[in-house]
Amino acid sequence: MTTTLDRTEVPDLSDAFPTVAWRIRDWAERTPDRVAIREKDFGIWQEMTSSELWDHVLTAAHAMLAFGIEPGQVTSIHSEDRPEWLIFDFASVAIRAICTGLYPTNPMAEVQYLLGDAASILHFAEDQEQVDKVVDAPADAFPTIKKIIYVEPRGIRVMTDSRLMFWDDFMEIGREHREANPGAVERLMADVDPDEVVTLIYTSGTTGPPKGSMLTHRNVEFGVEKVLNSPDRFQGGRGEGVDDEKLTYLPLCHVAERLFSAWSLAYNGPILNFAESIETVQADLREVQPTIFFAVPRIWERIHAGIHIKLQDGTRFKRLISAFGLKLGVYIGRSRVANNGNFTLGSRIAYWIGYPLFFRSLRERIGLRHCRYASSGAAAIAPEVLQFFMGLGIRVYELYGMTENTAVATSNFDGRVKLGTVGEPYDGIGLRIDEETGEIQTKHAANFVGYWNRPEATVDTFTEDGWLKTGDVGVWVDGTHVKIVDRIKDIIITSGGKNISPSEIENSLKASPYIKVVMVIGDGRKYLTAMIGIEYDVVGDWALRRKIPYTTYRDLGEKPEVLKLIQGVVNATNEKFAHIEQIKKFSMIPKELDHEDGELTATQKVKRSAMTEMFGDLVESMYS
Amino acid sequence: MRGRPNLHTKYQFEMGLFPSTTKRVSLVLLGVLALLLPLSALPLFGFLGDAGWMVMINRALIYAIAALGLNLLIGVAGQISLGHAFFMAVGAYTAVVLGGESGRTVWGLGLPMWIWLPAAGVAAALVGIFIAPTAVRVRGLYLAFVTLGLVFVGQFLWRNLGVIAGGPTTGRPWPKLEFALWKGMDPIVSFATDGPLWWWLTPIDWLPWVQIEEMSRHAKTYFFVLFLVIVFGLIAKNLMRTRVGRSWAAIRDRDIAAEVMGVAEAKGKTQAFAISSFYAGLAGAILASVVGRIIPESWNLFFSIEFVVIVLIGGAGTVAGVLMGTFFVVMMPRLVEEATHWLATQVTESGPFAWLGNVIIRSSPDDYLGIVSLEAAGPGLSIFQLNVVLFGVLIIVFLIVEPLGLYGIWIKVRNYWKGWPFTY
Repeated sequence: MTTTLDRTEVPDLSDAFPTVAWRIRDWAERTPDRVAIREKDFGIWQEMTSSELWDHVLTAAHAMLAFGIEPGQVTSIHSEDRPEWLIFDFASVAIRAICTGLYPTNPMAEVQYLLGDAASILHFAEDQEQVDKVVDAPADAFPTIKKIIYVEPRGIRVMTDSRLMFWDDFMEIGREHREANPGAVERLMADVDPDEVVTLIYTSGTTGPPKGSMLTHRNVEFGVEKVLNSPDRFQGGRGEGVDDEKLTYLPLCHVAERLFSAWSLAYNGPILNFAESIETVQADLREVQPTIFFAVPRIWERIHAGIHIKLQDGTRFKRLISAFGLKLGVYIGRSRVANNGNFTLGSRIAYWIGYPLFFRSLRERIGLRHCRYASSGAAAIAPEVLQFFMGLGIRVYELYGMTENTAVATSNFDGRVKLGTVGEPYDGIGLRIDEETGEIQTKHAANFVGYWNRPEATVDTFTEDGWLKTGDVGVWVDGTHVKIVDRIKDIIITSGGKNISPSEIENSLKASPYIKVVMVIGDGRKYLTAMIGIEYDVVGDWALRRKIPYTTYRDLGEKPEVLKLIQGVVNATNEKFAHIEQIKKFSMIPKELDHEDGELTATQKVKRSAMTEMFGDLVESMYS
Repeated sequence: MRGRPNLHTKYQFEMGLFPSTTKRVSLVLLGVLALLLPLSALPLFGFLGDAGWMVMINRALIYAIAALGLNLLIGVAGQISLGHAFFMAVGAYTAVVLGGESGRTVWGLGLPMWIWLPAAGVAAALVGIFIAPTAVRVRGLYLAFVTLGLVFVGQFLWRNLGVIAGGPTTGRPWPKLEFALWKGMDPIVSFATDGPLWWWLTPIDWLPWVQIEEMSRHAKTYFFVLFLVIVFGLIAKNLMRTRVGRSWAAIRDRDIAAEVMGVAEAKGKTQAFAISSFYAGLAGAILASVVGRIIPESWNLFFSIEFVVIVLIGGAGTVAGVLMGTFFVVMMPRLVEEATHWLATQVTESGPFAWLGNVIIRSSPDDYLGIVSLEAAGPGLSIFQLNVVLFGVLIIVFLIVEPLGLYGIWIKVRNYWKGWPFTY
C-alpha cells in the first residue's frame, strides 16, 4: 500500500543536497513571480519568471526520463546561449544525468570526437548548422545518441533522420510523462549524492584532443562560494543578489560563463539577460546595462578599441571634450593602479569633474553605466587595457582559475587590486607555487575529480600529495598576489638558454587596437620573432581614413603603410622589454585565424603547434 | 525599466506616446507655460498676454488644428493636397448656415455651437470622402491639380451662393464662440466676451505676481482653442501608431507595395481625406467665428499654400513639427515687420545696424540699393510682399537643406547630444 503511494507523491526535498536544480526549484517556490531570465526576441526582451523557468526545467527533466535517461548518463548541448540551454542543463542536473556543452564553433570532426568520448545519449542541437554536424556523420558514428533535440526548425523539418525531435514535441512528451509520473524527478533529486558528477567541461585543448573535466555538485558549491560569493569581492561587501542584472553571452559550455551565469542564477538569483548573439554584445550591453559583468580579454580589447575609433569620428567639439576626458581617465587610472584600485582624493575629484562631461555618457554608451563589478578572466589581459577601464571609474578586477579547479584559484579583491597580477588566493584554499618548476598548484574542495575516461591523464594532473597541477607558471608579488608568467609548455627557451614568457609580450602587443592575434616564436632560436594578425575592422578603418585602398585581409595586412603601423606598435612594445625579449622581426599572418581551420581553439586561443605547422615557411623566413 | 531606458520588455514601451521621462517632464512644463501665457504671467514674456499678441497666438492655434489635419494627409498618408482652404471653407459655411442668424438674403438656423461646430467638421469630412476616390485614381502632381481645382470650384461657389456666403465683398457675420444649450438661450460659457471664463475662475489672484479682475475674450478663446489643439494633437499622434496610421504610412511609402501587402489602398486614402477634412472643417469654422466676418475671396489658393508651407517647414509627418511650423509661419510676418521697423529706426537714429537698414530698406525712389519700402505706395516690395517672397525662399531652402523641417533641426540637435561623446 505504501509503495504505490510513494510512486506518485512528491517527496519533501528540504533535506536533500541543494544542487543547482534544487535551487532553481527553491527560487520558484520562494519568489515565483520574480523575473529570472530575459531573452531578446523580435526586438523585445521577453521575460521568464522563476516559476516558469522551473516549470520548463521540470517538464524537460520528465522528457529525459521518458527517454530512459538514467543517473550518470550523459546529455549534451550544442548551442549558442539561450534559455533552452539552461533549461536542458538544469533538467539534466535534476535527473542526475551529466550534462556537457559544446562550443557552437566546434567543427564536425571535433563534435564527433566529443560526443563519442562523452557517450552522449540525448543531444541538444540548436539549429540546422549544429544538427548537420551530427546528422551528416556516417550512420554508426554516434551509436549512443537516441534523440537530437532542436529548437530552430528552419531547414530541419525536411530532414528524415528519425533521431531528430523538435523542442516543443520533446516538451510535450515531458508533459505527458509528468502527468503520468508526478514526483519522479523530485524523487531522483531527493537521493542525490553531492559527490556525483554534475557536468563534463571539456578543456579547449591547445595541445592534443580536448579532455572532459568531471565536476561534482560539491565542486560547484565550493566554486560558487569562493568565486561568486567571497565577501571581499564587491565594494562595500554587497554580494550578488536578486537586484543584479547580468548579460549572458560567452559560451555556456565554458566554466567561466557557466559559473557567472547558470550557477550564479541558481545560487544568487540575478536576472540573466541573454544576448542576441556574440556579434550584438555591444548593443545588448547598452540596453541591459548589467550591474555585474564578466568578460574575456578579447571582449575588453574590443570595447577598448571601439571607444577609440568612435571617439575619433566625433565632431571637433566632441573630440576636444573627449580628449580632455581621456586625459582625466589616464590620470585616474594611474592613480587607482598606484593605490590598489582605490580612489584617492585627487582621482575622485578628477572623476567628479569628468563624470558629467564624459564618463557618465561614455559608460552609458558602452553599457557599463550601472556596472558595480566587472571582471576579466579565462586568459591573460594587458594591464594597459584594465587601467583604461579603471580610469573610466569602472571597478574591474582580474581573476584566475581553470576548469580543473572550477575556476577557484585567485582573484583581485576590492581595495587590494594589483594590476598585472591575478590577485590573491581565495580564503581557505590551498594554493602554492612549486619551488622547482614555478608551477601554480591548488588543493581545495573545488578540485575536479578527474578526466572523463582518462585515468592516466587524471593521475598526471595531480602531484603525489594530491595538489592540482595547473600548468601555469606563476610568481608571488609582495608575498600576497600571484602573477602568471605563462603556460609551462609555452615558455620559450632561446638558443642562448634564456627563459622567456611569450604571453606577456603578446598581451602587450594585443593592447594595441590594431592587433588581434600575436604568436611570439623563439624556442631554440637566436632571437624572438612574432606572427601578427591585424584587427581587420580597425585597421580597415585606419586605412580608409588615409585613403589606402585594399581588397582583402591579406592585402590589407601586407600594405607597406600597415606594416609601418605595426612596426610602430612593435617598437613601442620592445621599449618595455629587456633586449633579449625584444621582437627582432615579425610577419603578418596572411589569413584570419579560425576555429574551423584548426588554428584557434574554441576559446579563441592560438594553437601553437598548428600554427607552426601551417605557417612554417613564414617562420623560417624570419630566421634566414 | 528604471535606469535602463533601452531595455524594452514589452512593445507597449516602444509604442508609448511619450515614452521617456524627459518627454513627459518637458510636456508638463510646456503645459504650465501655456496656462500662464494668456494671464500675462510668464516671467519676461508677460507681453505675450497683450491683446495684439493674443490675437495672433489664437490664430496660430486655429491654424494648428487645420495644419494637423493636412499633416495627416500629406505627411502621414502622402497625399498632396492644395485643397485645404476649400475644406476649411466647407466647414466655415456649414457653421454659418447652421449657427448663423437668417436674414433677407442669407440662410441661417441659429443653432447652438455644440451643433454647428461638430457639424462643420462632419460636413467637411463628407466632402472629403466624396473627393477621396479621385486620389485613388491619380497621385502626386495630378492629385495636386485635382485638389487645386477644388479651390477654384469652391471660390466660384462661394461667390455665387450669396445665401450661404453673404455678399462677395462683405461676407456675413459668423456665430460667436458661445456655448448655449439651445438657440435663443443665454450662453453658459462665452468665449467671445470679456468676463469670467467660468463662474469660479475669475478674478485670478492665486498667483502672487498676477492680478486680473476679469479674463479677456482673447484669453478665453485661447483656452478653448488650446484645449482643441491638445485633443486633436493627441488624436493625430495616436492615429499614427494605430492600424489606420500605419496603413497610411505604408500607402505613402509605396501605395502599390502596400496594397500587395494587404493594406486596402482605397479605404486608407478615403480615411485620410475624411479625417484630414474633419480637422480642416473644424478649424475653418472656428477661424471664421473668431474673425467674425470673412469674404469668399479669402478661401483662396494662397491660403491653402500657407498650410502646405506649415507642414513642410515644420516637418511632415510629425505633430510636434507641425506645431512648431504653425507658430513659425504665423508669427514670422509679425517678426519681419518688427525687424523692418527696427531697422528703419536704426537708419534714422544712426544706430550700429544702420548700414544693414540702408541695404535693405528703400527710403526713396532714387535709393536703388534697398529692397523693402515702408510706405505702402512706395517703390520696392511692401512688407506683405516681402513675407510672401520669404515664404517662397524658405520652402525652397527647407526642401533642399532640411526636408524634415524644423522638426528635423530639432532631431539633429537632439541626436548630437544623444550620441555624446560619440557621433553615432
